[in-house]
Amino acid sequence: MADTLDFSIALSRGELFSLEAAESIPLTGITAVVGPSGGGKTTLLRALAGLERTPSAEVRFRGEIWDGPGDYLPPEARRIGYVFQNNTLFPHLDVAGNISYGARRREVRSYDAIVDALELGALMNRSVVGLSGGEARRVALARCLASNPAVLFLDEPLAGLDGARKSEMLPYIARAVGEAQVPSIYVTHSMDEVTTLADRVLGLSGGRLTGWRTSPARLLATVTAVSDGVMRVAIDGASGEPNSGQVAEIALPLIAGVGERVELGLPIESILLSAQDPGRSDALATLPATVTQSEGGLGVDVFGQSLVLPKAGPYAIGSLIWLTILRVLPRPVISDSAENRL
Amino acid sequence: MSVWPAIWLTVQLAAISTVILLIIALPLGWWLATTKARTKPLFEAITALPLVLPPTVLGFYLLVLMSPDTALGGAWLRATGDTLAFSFTGLVIASVIYSLPFAVQPMQSAFSTIPKNTLEAARTLGATSRDAFFSVSLPMARRGFITAAVLSFAHTIGEFGVVLMVGGNIPGKTRVISIEVFNAVETLDYRTAHTVSFWLLVFSLCVLTLVYFLNRRGGARIG
Repeated sequence: MADTLDFSIALSRGELFSLEAAESIPLTGITAVVGPSGGGKTTLLRALAGLERTPSAEVRFRGEIWDGPGDYLPPEARRIGYVFQNNTLFPHLDVAGNISYGARRREVRSYDAIVDALELGALMNRSVVGLSGGEARRVALARCLASNPAVLFLDEPLAGLDGARKSEMLPYIARAVGEAQVPSIYVTHSMDEVTTLADRVLGLSGGRLTGWRTSPARLLATVTAVSDGVMRVAIDGASGEPNSGQVAEIALPLIAGVGERVELGLPIESILLSAQDPGRSDALATLPATVTQSEGGLGVDVFGQSLVLPKAGPYAIGSLIWLTILRVLPRPVISDSAENRL
Repeated sequence: MSVWPAIWLTVQLAAISTVILLIIALPLGWWLATTKARTKPLFEAITALPLVLPPTVLGFYLLVLMSPDTALGGAWLRATGDTLAFSFTGLVIASVIYSLPFAVQPMQSAFSTIPKNTLEAARTLGATSRDAFFSVSLPMARRGFITAAVLSFAHTIGEFGVVLMVGGNIPGKTRVISIEVFNAVETLDYRTAHTVSFWLLVFSLCVLTLVYFLNRRGGARIG
């Protein structure tokens, strides 16, 4: 049976908006659906979750029919997790009560690992009314994951948080989703979130899918030292060990311990290419790379790791170039997806 | 002349009416808050009628309805051997109708302030719509329920016109506090009128303060 979520959805909201989308999404890692606001991302997610009933929709999850002609499985029977854009915590229950709400109904006994991954242990007896924005998001995510969903839908889960809070939240999401091993569909308009989290990217604009986009460029690295909320990482060599030698280590906000591996998302606009060694600079790192492909994106080899950058340049295959990295978005390794890519 | 029978009767009337009102107002308030039916404004208007109709008009219609000549009044007379009008049961029915908006409107507004997403979240967490109603809607509407109970009780305590029309002025049977005050003034017994009025005033002030206090605790945690 195909390990995919297949759907074909057509619905309209008056004259102004219609959604027509059909695709097959692999159920591994995090799939991002990206597009401008008002493009139909939320509507698509709601239709998949069964919150938006559409008579003509066809949705199949691992072959099981969720929606079809004459078939409709209500949301509570789909075994999903859904993180809403706004705060939907239950105000009459405390943090522990919120987190156990779904777990009790799906007979999940233990969800300590989720609570730990999201660092909620100290908040369990607090009222959800006084939580900060970031804390409330973590509780909402924990509430979903604790119910052991078969797939997780995240609808702009960082909407309304400021920049610093967002960067704090991203590793939490990556770690918790990795911990729970749950395939996720993540809806956002932010390329930073995509670069950090997504294993694959699907575009959606004006109610139409615009196809799969190049996966975000990402390098595996190993944490070599930590101090005062900062970790130093070295990009892995071909053998999977931290490469020793010529490359400067990168200092990043702390999200993992010494010896643990992380993935470095490289936002495309923050990579500069040059044919000669640019020498010392204010950049985070300058990496030597070998060109391996020049058609359909620029393929390069960095310490044995392959990257495809959606860039073009007059670089011959086999030539040595330098990547100057201005910004890096780290995430913990999401276990099964990392192997898929290497 | 002792006012205690009147006080006791009033409290009984208010308590019974409040229980019945809550049983009616809970589903009615929920339906009004969630329905998309086109007839909703009509039902809202019917529910709110007792707010604008003079109590005498309402009382008059109820009196006519309860008379032994009508189906309802006749059936009651055959079943119990007593007329519905000028009985305690008649008073309860009149109170329930008269105080209906005070029970329904707090419930309706409490249910309608629950964000739709919050209930959807419950559904995605494995709760059926029925389960979500009992585990999320009801607890979140709790303050509306309390407000409805307090207002229904207090409003029934204070009613006069409808009671006089439907129940008359029978001591120990249909003579409630507000009518006792009326009687006292009629017979120039200002001492009794003062005493009863004063305590009714104090009671009403306490009740309203309680209601506003409950409402002020806006988002505070309950339980």
